[in-house]
Amino acid sequence: MRKLQSLDDLIGFRERVSAEKDLKTETPTLVVSAGTCGQASGANDIMRIIKRHILKENLGDKIELRITGCHGFCQVEPFILVEPQLHLYPQLKMEDVPRVIEAVLGGYVEEDLIYTEPQVGTKFHSQSDIPFFKKQTRTILGSNQMLDPIRIFNYFERDGYAALEKVLSKADPEWIIEEIKSSGLRGRGGAGFPAGRKWELARASGDDHQPKFVVCNCDEGDPGAYMDRSLLEGNPHSILEGMIIAGIAIGAAHGIIYVRGEYPLAIKHTMIALRQARELGLLGDDILGTGNDFEIEIVRGAGAFVCGEETALIRSVEGFMGEPKQRPPYPIERGIDGFPTCINNVETLANIRIIINSGAAEYAKVGVPGNTGTKIFSLVGKIRDTGLVEVPLGMTIGEVVHDIGGGPPGKARIKAVQTGGPSGGCIPAEHFDLPVDFDSLREAGSIMGSGGMIVMDEDTCMVDVAKYFMGFLKDESCGKCFTCRKGTQRMHEILEDITEGRGTLDQLTLLEELAVVVRDTSMCGLGQSAANPVLSTLRYFRNEYERHIVDKRCDAFVCKDLVGPPCQAACPVGTEAWRYVAHIARGEYEDAYRVIREANPFPSVCARACDHTCEQRCRAGTSGGDPIAIRALKRFITDRIEPSVYIPVRHEWQEGEPPKVAVVGAGPAGLTTAHFLSLEGYRVTVFEAEPEPGGMLFCAIPEYRLPRDVIKKEIDSLLDDNITVVCNTSLGDDITVDGLFDDGFSAVLLALGAHKSRPLGLDNEDVPGVYPSIEFLKAFNLKSEQLAKGRVGVIGGGNSAIDAARTALRQRDVESVTILYRRTRAEMPAFEEEVEAAIEEGVTIETLVSPTEIKTTSGLFSHLGCVRNSLGEPDSSGRRRPVRIEGSEHVIELDTLIVAISEDSGVDSITPARSGGIEVTDWNTVKADARTLLTSRSGVFAAGDVVTGPNTIIDAIADGKKAAVMIDHFVRGEELVQPVKSLMPTVHLDPVEVDPEEAPDDRVETPRASIEWRKRNFAEVEVGLSMQEATREARRCLRCDLEFVERTAPDVRAAGGHAE
Amino acid sequence: MEQHSDVETVNPRDQTGGEICLTCKHLPGCVQRSKQASPILFCDLYEEGEWSADLVAGIIDKHRGERGGLISILEGIQAKYGFLPESALRLVAERTGRSLVDIYGVATFYKAFTLEPRGRHLCSVCVGTACHVRNAPAVAEEFQRQLGIHPGETTEDREFSLETVNCLGACALGPIVVVDGHYFPQVNTRQVGEIIGKTQVGLDFVEVATDERVFPVEVFCARCNRSLMDPDHPIEGHPSVRVTISFGRKHGWLRLSSLYGSFTIESEDEIPEDTVLNIFCPTCHAELAGATDCPVCGAPMVPLIVRGGGMVQICSRRGCFSHLLDVSGSGA
Repeated sequence: MRKLQSLDDLIGFRERVSAEKDLKTETPTLVVSAGTCGQASGANDIMRIIKRHILKENLGDKIELRITGCHGFCQVEPFILVEPQLHLYPQLKMEDVPRVIEAVLGGYVEEDLIYTEPQVGTKFHSQSDIPFFKKQTRTILGSNQMLDPIRIFNYFERDGYAALEKVLSKADPEWIIEEIKSSGLRGRGGAGFPAGRKWELARASGDDHQPKFVVCNCDEGDPGAYMDRSLLEGNPHSILEGMIIAGIAIGAAHGIIYVRGEYPLAIKHTMIALRQARELGLLGDDILGTGNDFEIEIVRGAGAFVCGEETALIRSVEGFMGEPKQRPPYPIERGIDGFPTCINNVETLANIRIIINSGAAEYAKVGVPGNTGTKIFSLVGKIRDTGLVEVPLGMTIGEVVHDIGGGPPGKARIKAVQTGGPSGGCIPAEHFDLPVDFDSLREAGSIMGSGGMIVMDEDTCMVDVAKYFMGFLKDESCGKCFTCRKGTQRMHEILEDITEGRGTLDQLTLLEELAVVVRDTSMCGLGQSAANPVLSTLRYFRNEYERHIVDKRCDAFVCKDLVGPPCQAACPVGTEAWRYVAHIARGEYEDAYRVIREANPFPSVCARACDHTCEQRCRAGTSGGDPIAIRALKRFITDRIEPSVYIPVRHEWQEGEPPKVAVVGAGPAGLTTAHFLSLEGYRVTVFEAEPEPGGMLFCAIPEYRLPRDVIKKEIDSLLDDNITVVCNTSLGDDITVDGLFDDGFSAVLLALGAHKSRPLGLDNEDVPGVYPSIEFLKAFNLKSEQLAKGRVGVIGGGNSAIDAARTALRQRDVESVTILYRRTRAEMPAFEEEVEAAIEEGVTIETLVSPTEIKTTSGLFSHLGCVRNSLGEPDSSGRRRPVRIEGSEHVIELDTLIVAISEDSGVDSITPARSGGIEVTDWNTVKADARTLLTSRSGVFAAGDVVTGPNTIIDAIADGKKAAVMIDHFVRGEELVQPVKSLMPTVHLDPVEVDPEEAPDDRVETPRASIEWRKRNFAEVEVGLSMQEATREARRCLRCDLEFVERTAPDVRAAGGHAE
Repeated sequence: MEQHSDVETVNPRDQTGGEICLTCKHLPGCVQRSKQASPILFCDLYEEGEWSADLVAGIIDKHRGERGGLISILEGIQAKYGFLPESALRLVAERTGRSLVDIYGVATFYKAFTLEPRGRHLCSVCVGTACHVRNAPAVAEEFQRQLGIHPGETTEDREFSLETVNCLGACALGPIVVVDGHYFPQVNTRQVGEIIGKTQVGLDFVEVATDERVFPVEVFCARCNRSLMDPDHPIEGHPSVRVTISFGRKHGWLRLSSLYGSFTIESEDEIPEDTVLNIFCPTCHAELAGATDCPVCGAPMVPLIVRGGGMVQICSRRGCFSHLLDVSGSGA
């Protein structure tokens, strides 16, 4: 390469390069991103296959190939982006490449491979329309896509070194500083110090004989942030250009790029760029004959977080331990070797050429006053679309997380965003309307930092996050300040105590005190901000700390020592699923039954209709495979073993006449309470409004899921001499709360359930042909009335909607069944397997649609007016709110409409409770204390759906168990507390040795009756597992319990299988 | 630098009856210092050849006066030996005039340095924040369980070292695991065994015959346009690329593998590392030289025309693996 000698040379050279660029035809170009993340995902393989294909087919003049750095959408790597149409083919495999090339040559889009938005399913033909890109302003990051970082010509083609040319032509360093100042650019490294002001100070500092330094800080130590790597890797010349301009502005001749050793590709590309710039004469002595000297060298960091702090960085550059020094003097006055040193972050330097090229005024139009320009964030963690995003400062967190990031990847709700790395804090989802700028984030207890945005959801434990950061800071504290060194250690120990179950509430106070001391007494930024992770989580998530300390529970299932085997912790009634699965693996079926029955009085019911949170938490599933089919295994046992195998422990009431307790409602909650109180010697009377006990099990759950004889048998096994069931007796009509106390009942439990479907709130909801789902299901389940006719529409997305749809499908005069749901399938609250079964049977599901009008013909329901939705901001449940699309109104012809949007207890049930002096909520549920289940009236407890609204069977059973304990305490005059129960295994069961070669990997499929047969009758759909299937499935269990048994209590080994 | 004295015998597993290092057990002749309670090993050094004070001194001299010199020196030594041997540190102190305490301080302050020998393979599990919230701790635990060592330790057979690192900058793909420079994205615990297995086979291992990523290119002289392929002398099962070379006072032939990405060569004379070669067409004898210099090392790049369109440029420096394959005719 010929060295450029003068400014005119540079101008001429740039003109030639752009002229050549303009001559280039519109040849389709395949762009492959091969930054560190691209290469990690296999971009090199894709590149090779493209090259191979091009050579083999002789396509050299038909297709161009460009290898670039990271574009930011790391999620979809390895990908091919086709320019100029911007077709994005994500997550390609090597064998897909020829198909993409064929499509490019043929001028069409390969629909099977083109980018499809997850969850929604929309295909996008242009990258610019993809939600991830649409709301971004990719001023800096955008150029990564345009150029090959190791080819300087590519950079010149994209206005490379135009800013340098402008600066050299002006030959006025003061002008540069004025431009940067009036652009409002603030340092992107974290603290947000105005960059122009810093340069001004640096220019004024020192005398003419002293050397000065410009340092590019690429010691990107914040775990979770990687935009600096991406910039240095993907567009190194833009950083060099920024540094040279900085050098000219402040009068420095020495540049240093301090880069983490963990970034080998960034180092390589920077070295290449430096060599090219030197050869071209853009670095060195007397650059282009303008009298400016500037040379840049690379210094590699050797791995110390604190070296991101500028005084520590300087020590490290000098070859010492990276311990910070007292400021002032600031590095601007006395930095490297005692000389003035101006340290700028990579992203700050990347902005320089943008400001110079477009002008400060133009630049300042982006963003908000005081926070101008764009900022790159690394949007990572529990989010659907992860990667680097560049947005104008001042955009809200919510927009970044939901509109660009696409919200949560699964059903778990997003809980918080952590910004600013270990020095930052956690911002809870309630504050997602906060604009991201330097000042707002600080006020919220966090900082901007270098731009990490780590999204956390319900499965992230905030105490664990605080512990994680404190562990990091404890390791990274350089040790110079005592309070930082010791304080971070002590805070980490306390957090360890809390996450391992030894925490006390007093420690929380100590933790806060320590945090404040460390913040106030440390010398450098590391210590001063070390408290942020603790203080911000305490500020917004104190309840999680308390839950760990008081209840010894980690609801995110992260803190192992509190969780124990996850299947057990996930079960609302604490069933030791691992234990009965182990018994099944060993062929000990009666033992398995006893384990199941001890925790749960409705094993057969739950074996069929439980939502099995145990399986959602099963480690076999969360570690990347399929969870154990725990519910099917439970069914396998309950189908085989008689309930009489389990003989519960009974206590006779010791002091005189046993007390009487009234339970109103014979559903799973009420019957569970009755059963457990009976075991303690109470006399319980259960009042039931319907002719038979069973509550929702009978009324709402269809027979094809839960056969009636199974319910009956289960209930019969629970009833004993202590329990009297009185049917056809309802609260209000036949009994009152006052009356029950008058009749000598010591306590009353309200377990009425939620039997009233909520209306849509549209006109004509009461016309014939429109039914609330509970009414529809009850009519069929209790009276065999078939209300559905012809074309049936079901509104809703919960289990009740699916039950109604599948029941309707089985009714005589039904032609078709369509479920209309206002969000997408991903947001449907119904159990996935139920949805699948419904679809299999022929139910159609239409999503993103809402009803607007119920139309009638001669008094009968005939049409439903509907409108289409798109997904907008998330609502209080964390699910994205459906937003009506204007002009999408349409009408569907239907004969029957079933409304299944939600249920409550209904005015009929709630009124008598209220007249009994019991407070109720605005949502027609009874107000009860979450810990004690006590209502506003002493002696009256409430449990199940009447408190929670529609909920699962197992939650109702758990509530019933708790109510029994609370009522017992109440009657005995004891404090209403439930003792904290450890979730650690109490027995050791030897695992069955399985040959690893033969160890099965895949989950057994729950057998179902054939679709053709089952969809026209009400026989049970699911079929039990065979002994062989069950044994195989049970042996797949990873036996998480063993870790805890072996660790905590070696003695229990001796106890063997059955003992307690 | 102390002299290495003879090595104690003998490991029962050693069939040859040769002298075996006490600690590393399987590398015959490993140098260890006698009269030392816990022997320090220089296994990697040994594989390279003899431990040499000169070598370390060379590294020291190379970086002397450089900015951040001490850190660069330690990096150089570690790059050579995989860790920082005590003797080397003593030599650094002696030569740079800095106190040993100072050098020990720097060596222990930065995470990149280790005073313990590492295994043949280094598994780094990223536990940065983004990886942490995506279950990286479980992945790290699984590595611990399967390798039977804690982070910071090395397996007894010196095959694997395990470490956890704070961030590797590929956060969107977490949890990330890097083994010997190879990145594994989105790792879950079930993949751990597979990663260890692959490492044992060799991460760079490819089936030349069947792997789609390996393909031969046919090249021509840029001047006379005649083929440079030599079907009579295949390398790796494909016709080799034959050129003539000169360096120093030597002239001779050089054959290169025609497989893209392979660096296998055969040559008439032994070419010392770092030598920049002049390369000629064996037919028209024109020097194959272009206008471009190697982006990595600065030596001239050698352009060759590729059948199918495009150009491959290879660096003329022995030991520099830089190459550019431009498949479109207009490459820069």
